[in-house]
Amino acid sequence: MPQEACMPFIPDWESCGKASRRPSNLSTPAKMIQLKTMLNCIDNSGAAIVECVMVVGQKRHASIGDRIVCVVQKQRSANAEGMASSSAANKVKRGDIRHAVVVRTRQKVTRRDGSCVRFDDNACVLINKAGDPVGSRINGIVGQELRKKKWSKILSMAPMQA
Amino acid sequence: MNVSPLFFRRPLGCLKTTSLRQAARQQKVFRRTLATAATEQQQPASFSDHNFYRITDKKTKKIRTAFAIYEPLAAPEVTPSTPLKALPLKPPHHDPMPALQAAQIARMDPTGARTALFAKTRGAARVGDVLMVTHRRGGEPFAGVCLSIRRAGIDTAILLRNHMAKVGVEMWYKIYNKNVAGIEIVKRRAKRARRARLTYMRKPKHDMGSVDSIVFAWRKTRKVLTTRGGGGNKGAAQKGAAAKKK
Repeated sequence: MPQEACMPFIPDWESCGKASRRPSNLSTPAKMIQLKTMLNCIDNSGAAIVECVMVVGQKRHASIGDRIVCVVQKQRSANAEGMASSSAANKVKRGDIRHAVVVRTRQKVTRRDGSCVRFDDNACVLINKAGDPVGSRINGIVGQELRKKKWSKILSMAPMQA
Repeated sequence: MNVSPLFFRRPLGCLKTTSLRQAARQQKVFRRTLATAATEQQQPASFSDHNFYRITDKKTKKIRTAFAIYEPLAAPEVTPSTPLKALPLKPPHHDPMPALQAAQIARMDPTGARTALFAKTRGAARVGDVLMVTHRRGGEPFAGVCLSIRRAGIDTAILLRNHMAKVGVEMWYKIYNKNVAGIEIVKRRAKRARRARLTYMRKPKHDMGSVDSIVFAWRKTRKVLTTRGGGGNKGAAQKGAAAKKK
C-alpha cells in the first residue's frame, strides 16, 4: 500500500491546485460541511477530492445524509487503489459541478439513543440530479444515518456502515 | 380618550412597581426580624405607601383597596399583629438528584454489572483498554480502544476508537443504554494510562490503528475456552470480565 492510502483523510492540498485557497488556520479537515469544505470522494466516479459549493436545502451545514453541490477538484488517477475497474473510472473531470451525498463527517453525529459517531474525515459520494450514484462502487465506511435519510442505494453499495 | 384620574385607573405597569415595592418592603421586614427582634410593631400589611387606593372600612377597620391584592408568593409569612419571633433555621437542603440518579441506575442496571464494569475499582475497565460493545438491535459489535470514560451518573458514557476500512471511527456509547446489550473487555492495557482522556491517540504517531486483529484473537481464545468448558461461556466470562447482561 502506498503511504497515501494509510491516511486517506488528509487531502493532498498542494497537488490539487488549491493551495492558495486553503485556510491558513485549518490544520485538520473542517468539521461541518459548508461552502468551500473539501471532502474526499469515496466512490469510483473518478473524483478524489471535491469542494462543497452549496448545501442543498435550507441548512447551515451538511451532515451525514445531506445533499450538497460540489466541484471536482482532483481526479483519481486511472489505477488508483481499490478502483480496479478502469472502464468505470473517470466519469467526472476536474472542474465538473456535481451533486453529492455526505457519508462521513468529522463532526459528531448524535443518534436517537444517545450514542454518537464521528469519523476522521469528511467524505461524500457523487450522485446525479435524480439521486442515483454516479459511480458503481463505494470503498470505505459510511454512516448509518443514510438509512434514516433514505439513501438505501448508497448504503447497499457500501462495504461497511458505522 | 382616557382622561379618568389616576385614582380610578392605574396603568398596568403600575402593578409591577407595586409588587416590586412590596417585595422590597418584605425584605426589609425580614431583616428587621433578625436585628431588632420584636421591639417595634409592624405596620399593617404590605401595601403601598400611597394612600390613594387605600380605603379603611369604617365598620370593620379593615383596609379595602380598589385593587385585588394577592398573597405574596413564597415569601416568609409575617403576621403583623403578633410579635416577631426569630425564625428557626431550616434543615439543610437535600439535593434530590443523587437519589434520582441512583433510582434510574437501579432501573436500567438491576444487576449492577454495568456500574461495576466502569467503577473505579481494580477489575473494572479503564481508559486504554480495548472494549467491545454489542447492540441489542443486531449488527456488528463495535470494538475499539477506550479513549475516555465520561462519568455522569445515568449519563455515563464511553468513547471507543477504531479504524474501519482505513478510516478512524469514534463512537460514544451510553453504558446504561438498553440498546447496548453488552460491553466486554477484549484486552487490557499493559500499563495504566497516565491520562484520563487519551485524545492523543487520534494523532498518527500514537494511533493504535485497527483493533480487529486483537478482537479476532480474543474471539478465538474464547471459543477454545468455551468448547473445552463443555457448554456455557463460563470461561469467556472469566476471561473478559464480561458484562453481558440483559
